[in-house]
Amino acid sequence: MSAQNLEAFLAKLYVDSQARSRFLADPRREALNAGLNEDDCAALEKIDFVGLELAADSFARKRAACPPRKPVWNFTRWLKRR
Amino acid sequence: MNDRFGIGWRPELAAGILSNLDCIDIVEVIADDYCGAPRPKRRALRTLATQVPVALHGVTLGMASAIAIDSKRLEQTARLVEEIQPEFWSEHLAFVRAGGLEIGHLAAPPRTEATVEGAARNLTAAKKIVGAMPLVENVATLIDPPASKLSEADWTSEILAAANSALLLDLHNLYANSVNFGFDPYDFINRMPHEKIHAIHLAGGRWIKATTDDRRLLDDHLHDVPDSVYELLKYVGQRTFRPLTVILERDGRYPPIEMLLNQLDRARDALRGGRAKLSEAA
Repeated sequence: MSAQNLEAFLAKLYVDSQARSRFLADPRREALNAGLNEDDCAALEKIDFVGLELAADSFARKRAACPPRKPVWNFTRWLKRR
Repeated sequence: MNDRFGIGWRPELAAGILSNLDCIDIVEVIADDYCGAPRPKRRALRTLATQVPVALHGVTLGMASAIAIDSKRLEQTARLVEEIQPEFWSEHLAFVRAGGLEIGHLAAPPRTEATVEGAARNLTAAKKIVGAMPLVENVATLIDPPASKLSEADWTSEILAAANSALLLDLHNLYANSVNFGFDPYDFINRMPHEKIHAIHLAGGRWIKATTDDRRLLDDHLHDVPDSVYELLKYVGQRTFRPLTVILERDGRYPPIEMLLNQLDRARDALRGGRAKLSEAA
């Protein structure tokens, strides 16, 4: 569960600029609030801060260029379900 | 040796590719563009697959994650693989979503035993549902993944061993990570099980400013393949005995097709040069 929590925390840092600002202001507190274990909190205090901003910016550009596709509405599948 | 050389299939390149099939051995199609796509679009892909060998390349499954892969996405991939019968299919050693959030691109996960085990579980599930194990690709990252306990080389080779999968070695991703995080890309290649390197990606990128006195290399697929990457390809040729499939990726700022074909020729020369050294050594 710990590894999953860490991935969820990183995903939030990458996509949510407000969460990232809170984290940058106090990495340990934000990591603890997210329920991460001591090892992960310690690692996040030493995060590659430059890389974090660059990666978040790069991901934001990708999301803007390729918004998530809406599910294809399949008329045949809809008919079969009825 | 029957190495093959091809290009990533993009609509903007379609005419150029189709009119040069005499010098393109294979095309690589983004699987996600066709999963759940309307029937005419899939029919067009089936037609393409009758004209040239096709490899399918996934970008949204998120294989290298402690979180289990979405089985519905795998089932869509399975249907596409069944329909197209590609030469092989591949996915990235990345996570792309977590905690209900879509990151929007390939994120390098923490390199830990947990993500090795997660990747092995996900790859095993992918093989079971799709019917074939995907080749797995190393990703470029602008951030050194926090909480990592393993080097990228150790982490990658552990996943290859745990899942019994083969590697799609992206040489520009490797090059970018090596210059961004200060490791030797040749050492990385040495530490890969050479018999497991089945395919190669080539691409280009650009330097972006990180701080006033620091910069990082962004793998953007918008620029030509740099010389350093051809050198790495030559080195791979010196180390591997099995035939390789080499794919040139370009996602925008498309030059005339002749320029891309020139880059494929440079790749042929580089790999041939490496193979020649391998023969001399043998």
